[in-house]
Amino acid sequence: MIALAIILTGIGSYVMRAFFIFALARYSFPPLLLRALEYVAPTVMAALVVSMLTTPEGSLAAGLPELMGLICTAVAAKTTGNHILALIAGMGTFWLIGAIL
Amino acid sequence: MRAMVALTARKAPTLRTDSSWHTVASPALRGSLDALPLFIPALPFAFVFGVVVANAGIPQWLGWSSSPIIFGGAIQVTLFTLIGEGASVAAAVSAALIVGARHMLYSVALAPRFQNQPSWFRWVGSYVLIDQVFVLSQIKPIDEPVAFRRYFLAAGFTFWSLWMICTALGVVMGPAIPAEWGVEFAAPVLFVSLMMASSDRRDKLAAAALAMGLTYLLASLPNRTGILIAVISSVVVMLLLQRHRQS
Repeated sequence: MIALAIILTGIGSYVMRAFFIFALARYSFPPLLLRALEYVAPTVMAALVVSMLTTPEGSLAAGLPELMGLICTAVAAKTTGNHILALIAGMGTFWLIGAIL
Repeated sequence: MRAMVALTARKAPTLRTDSSWHTVASPALRGSLDALPLFIPALPFAFVFGVVVANAGIPQWLGWSSSPIIFGGAIQVTLFTLIGEGASVAAAVSAALIVGARHMLYSVALAPRFQNQPSWFRWVGSYVLIDQVFVLSQIKPIDEPVAFRRYFLAAGFTFWSLWMICTALGVVMGPAIPAEWGVEFAAPVLFVSLMMASSDRRDKLAAAALAMGLTYLLASLPNRTGILIAVISSVVVMLLLQRHRQS
């Protein structure tokens, strides 16, 4: 049964990724849609961050270490443009504030 | 090739990390090298995955087999969490797929770039279309089809290989990592970093902020469906604002 669940999920997630790449292979994209698609990456990333910090019941599951860690990540990512430095800044702040509190 | 190098150079503000190899290396090498730093935050996630597999009482090899078959960290973790909680196959599979539904948006967003590509690349490229690969393809737009294909596949299969190795280590060693280290916090840190990298314009940053607020308001919807609703609504709001400003 577990093997069946893995295979079904595998097929489903492949179809989700491939579907529009194949379905829209000969579609000429109107400029409005192309502009809309530019917002997909930032908004999906933003939504994922918040969903990781909230419980399934909808309340915030993040304290000061998490929030300060993510603010430092954002600042480091914006100023350095380097994902490793952003990771160090974020995890460093998170661990530091967690240790102090 | 020259034209592409010029294009990459012009996008300088978002590419400040790029050292000299970035202007000389082949697209394939750049794809692999760009993938490496983004994989580091995924490492703890491989161990979280291992803990979930152990808690669900699933044989290690069977749990690991989901890595090549599904290839999507959050989808795999959701599936095994629910199976561990005793959910039915139908319930676990549908919840896992709803968690992965954002990949449909990636599929739409990348469709224009896959148009002038051979069909084998559509089949293979779709298999490695994950969050990080999608964001890389958005922040490093490559117009030349062959260079785009090499960059995309190199980044995708670098992630793929590392994920196969690390989830194998994860199912074996994951349960030994102390929970109080909080290493899984690397996941939101990664996504904040990717959010900033893909927000190279102020309006994109505004869209991201709007999506954060909406996701928070919709956080109690089942199976995280709030993510998709928040994303689609903030994109629509941004388009309406653009139109309002133009008129």
